[in-house]
Parts: sequence; C-alpha cells; structure tokens
Amino acid sequence: MITAGVDIGSTSSKVVVLEDGKKILSKVIIPVGAGSSGPARAFEQSIREVNLSREDIKRVIATGYGRTHFPGADQQITEITCHARGVYELLPGVRTIIDIGGQDAKAIRVGQGGIVSNFIMNDKCAAGTGRFLEVMSRILEINIEDLADLAALAENPASISNTCTVFAESEVISQLSGGTSREDVAAGIVNSVVGRVAGLVKRLGVQSEVVMTGGVCLNWMIIRMMEKELAIPVMASPMAQLTGALGAALFAFESAR
Amino acid sequence: MTQLKELLSTLEHVAKHPAQVINKCLEDKRLMIGCTPEYCPEEIVYAAGMLPVGLWGGATSIRNANQYFPAFACSLVQTTLELGMRGVYDQLAGVIIPAHCDHLKCFGQDWKVAVPQVRFIPLAHPINRKLEAAVEYLKSEYSRIKSVLEEIGGKPISHQDLSEAIEVYNLHRKTLREFTLIARDYCTTITPSVRHNVIKSGYFMDKLEHTQLVNSLIGELKKAPPEEWKGQKVVLTGIMAEPKEILDMFEEYGLAVAADDLAQESRQFRTDVPEGKDPLERLARHWSCMEGCSLLYDPQKNRRFMLKTMAEESRADGVVACIMKFCEMEEFDYPIYKKTLEEAEIPLLYLELDLATPSLEQVRTRIQSFAEMISLKP
Repeated sequence: MITAGVDIGSTSSKVVVLEDGKKILSKVIIPVGAGSSGPARAFEQSIREVNLSREDIKRVIATGYGRTHFPGADQQITEITCHARGVYELLPGVRTIIDIGGQDAKAIRVGQGGIVSNFIMNDKCAAGTGRFLEVMSRILEINIEDLADLAALAENPASISNTCTVFAESEVISQLSGGTSREDVAAGIVNSVVGRVAGLVKRLGVQSEVVMTGGVCLNWMIIRMMEKELAIPVMASPMAQLTGALGAALFAFESAR
Repeated sequence: MTQLKELLSTLEHVAKHPAQVINKCLEDKRLMIGCTPEYCPEEIVYAAGMLPVGLWGGATSIRNANQYFPAFACSLVQTTLELGMRGVYDQLAGVIIPAHCDHLKCFGQDWKVAVPQVRFIPLAHPINRKLEAAVEYLKSEYSRIKSVLEEIGGKPISHQDLSEAIEVYNLHRKTLREFTLIARDYCTTITPSVRHNVIKSGYFMDKLEHTQLVNSLIGELKKAPPEEWKGQKVVLTGIMAEPKEILDMFEEYGLAVAADDLAQESRQFRTDVPEGKDPLERLARHWSCMEGCSLLYDPQKNRRFMLKTMAEESRADGVVACIMKFCEMEEFDYPIYKKTLEEAEIPLLYLELDLATPSLEQVRTRIQSFAEMISLKP
C-alpha cells in the first residue's frame, strides 16, 4: 500500500511517499511553503519520481502550517503529532523533540508509542524561529546554510537580545556598524536562538533522549550550543525537515490499513 | 426540537448582535450602564431601573487606543477603549470600570480622557477581601456608585429595589449553573460556541428575560435523552474564550466543553450574593465569598484545587488555559495550577489569545494538537 505525507511549512514544502509503511519510495523538499505552488509541486514531483499517479496513493495526510489548505489530502494532522510519530519511527528512545520551524518553535514530549504527551509552542514573537535566522542571515549577507560555519569562526561571540526579532535586527545592525566581526555576530545570533528555544524546552522539562527536527537542525552550531545550554546530548533527526512528512505518511498507512 | 432551535437562535442572535437589543432599550427609554470586566455590582444598576451591559472588548484592530496603551496591554482593555473612542458606546449613560489589575487601572483613567462623552464610574475593590474592614470599605464604594446612578437616573434607589435586584441576579446565577451542568450531557446540541452564546447573551439582556429563556432552554433539552459524545471534553479556564473562532475550532476538532472557569462565564455566576439584611453589605460581602479567580487575592491559591476537582468531576479529558495575551494576573496563576494538574496527570493546554489579532493559525495548531494528544492518550 502506498501512502504519502505532505508537510507544508511556512518556508518549505516536504513530501514523503511510503510503501507499506516501511519503505521510503521518494522524498522531496521544495523551498517554498504555505500559500505558494510549493505543496502541489512537491507532491507532483514525489509521485512522478516513482512513476505513480494520485490514484495509486491510498491515503494522503497533510501536516504543517498549510495543512488545512492542501486540496489533495484525505486528512490533516498537526506537525506536532506528526513529528512525534516520525521521530518514534527513526529514534524510538527519544522523549524530547525540539522542532524549530520557519515561524514557530516547539518542544514536544514523546510518550508511549510515539504519542505526544505534552508540548509547548513559542508565543508572543518570532524570536527563536527559522524566520529569525533568515532575517539575520540576510543582514550578514550570507546564505542561512552558511551561518553555522561563520559562527564557528567567532572569537568573542556578540551578545544579541533574545527577546524580539525586530529589536535584535536593529541590534545586529548596530553591532556591525560598531565594528563587531561578522563571525562574532553570527555566533551571537546562534546563541540567541538557542537561549530562546532552550527556555521553551526547560519549561517542558528536559528528558533524555533529545532530538532536533526541522530545517534548523541542519545548523550544526545550533545543535552544539543547544547541547551546552541543556547540558545533555542533542541529536539531529536523520530526516531533518522531512521528519514531519514521514510521520504523516506513517499515520496515513496506519489509518488506511 | 423547533422550540429548542428557536431558543438557541434567539440567544445566539443577542450574543452576536447586541446593538439591536440596545436599540430596543433606547426605544423603551431605559438607560444603560456599561459594565467592564471583570466584576461590577450590576445589581445596583438593575435596581436603578437601568440595563447593565457587559463590555468585554471585541475582535477589532487597534487604531486609536494605542495613543493611551502600550503594545503590551491586554487586548480586552485595548479593544474596549478602541470601541469607546469610535463612539460605539455613546448610547450608554455611564461605564463602571473596576481596577482589578494594572491594565484596568490605566483603562479607567484613559477612559475619562479618551471617551469623555460616556461618564466614567470608577470602582476600586479591596485586595484583602476577607477582612470585615474590606466589606465596610466596599460597601462605601458601592454606596458611592449608587449615588452616581441615582443622579444619572434622577430617582432614588431603595433598599427594596436593591434586594429585589439581588434576588433576580441570584436566580439568574442559579439558572446558568443549572444550564452549564445540563449542557455537558448534550454536547452535540450545546457546542462550545452555542454554550458561550447562551451565557454571553445574558450580558445584553434584562436578567429576568434571560433567566426565562435559559430556563425554557433547559426544559427543552431535558425532553430528549442525554446525547452520546464520542469526542473529548475539556474544562476552560482563564478570562474569556474569545475570539469566537477558537470555539468553532474546538468543535471542528471534536472538543466539547465539560465545564468552565472563565471570568466571562462561570466565575460570574458560581457564587450567589449571600443572605443578609443590608443589600449593599450583601453585595460587598459577595466579593469576600468568591473564590478561584486570578483577580481575587488568595494566598492559598485554591484555584489549583478547584480546577483539578472541576476536571475530575466533569470527567474532562483535559484543561485549556485561555490566557489573554499580556494578562499578568492569569500568567501569575498559570504555573501554580499547571503543577497541580500535571501531578494529577490532567493534560493542560496553554492557549494565548488576542482579540485584536485576526490570524489564528497558531492557535489552530495548538487546539488541534491538544485534541490529537488527548484522543490518542493511552
């Protein structure tokens, strides 16, 4: 039986196509998300790559911020539930998930059988989210993927406010105008995200094992700093930003079976 | 069934279109007094022959009120002031504004300047409310409000008027308590929005009329056997469960309301005005009798136990904390009852709400995730 999970985030669209709930037939990431052509393109590409049509897919579950507006879905499940399911499949020992998405950050407690037993989302502002990193990378004139490597070269990481994206943006500009090196500012940005998200995780309660999911877990500096902040090893999900789509595809398989 | 639908439709119409009720009041030449959150002595207004009208903000953008409030003031005071500045409340003969929290303290002062056409009637409750001196003090506050209302209405308010108003209000409280108990057995008919509208409509109607309608509704509901509910049930706590779209989301994701601990809903009617000889003293003593609200000084923090008991007795699957964004009073209480509920293994959702924000997608994710979590709970 073929099932699919479509994770429509605010900044990217991810699709995983599964066979019999086990074998991944295809996985696609398109770097545009909710409200764009991204979800449809990602879905089309994922089935085209394996010579399938929509009729061949027994069940499709949409997740993520744009889940309610994907016309091809049979059901919608939130990314919180799907990330927990995806992580349970990949790393069954995980009890704490840190998912930093494009516009929000979440700390998720995984209970028995991969079921969510508690979660916390950020509130009040966009600090500590992928959007924050994007804005800051733009000011530093680098690609977001290069932020970790730049931050690793810091000698004296700058102190960046971790309370507000808008104020932090002004702060970064002032630091750069004041002569602080780009490397030190980049490290300050990473520390700022880590500080904000670690606070969220501590509110939930840190329980081993801890994994990070979402696109931000590709930033190795954030993982390293998060480990330091939480004083516990933190893994990156092997499927990073595809973890939620995997969870959705698994739910699709389980509900269609 | 037709009668039931008609009753629900009437109450929903009032809750959604209070202006029409207010226009009717104007035609009848009955004066109206605005009563802002959270606790106003509506009985004194009623005894004066006036209609107390609840002012609990609304879903609107802030364009004027930010002249007076910083961005971190709660949207309840911001939107109420905004509507006042736009002239929405110009038909009112006055507005009673208590000073329960820092935002409300500023709100009253701001109202005086920003909405001068609608008379500001201040009210300061005592904090140490269990002391006899507090009762005496609050009685003097209520006496002052009574004098202001007598001046506005041009006629005295007798002890008998006050006693009768207290009876009307206590009967209304009893009726709404009965409704909330019955409602949990009819979750398909009494959806979260329907439940909210039944209670909210009381803020814009004569309490006698509202009591009659709710009593009829209870009678109609009882004619049918209790409804089977396959979804989950939750207890709502906080100031209020608005914007209204969030209650629709509860329904969409199979969540019914088993009970509530909302300032806009049950906290208004779960405690009767106590018996006594002097009606103003009875009203003042009411403030000492109420329990379990973030605005009531309670060094023991008994709200945590009340919530746990409420969730257990109503057989709720979880508790949803409807926290008005920037409501410090509710935020102070949250970690205390969170600990108690966690110890009792009662799932808790923190839902940050803002009346002035039109986008509710993050709220949707929280509600749906919570519904998924409690429905999958082993």
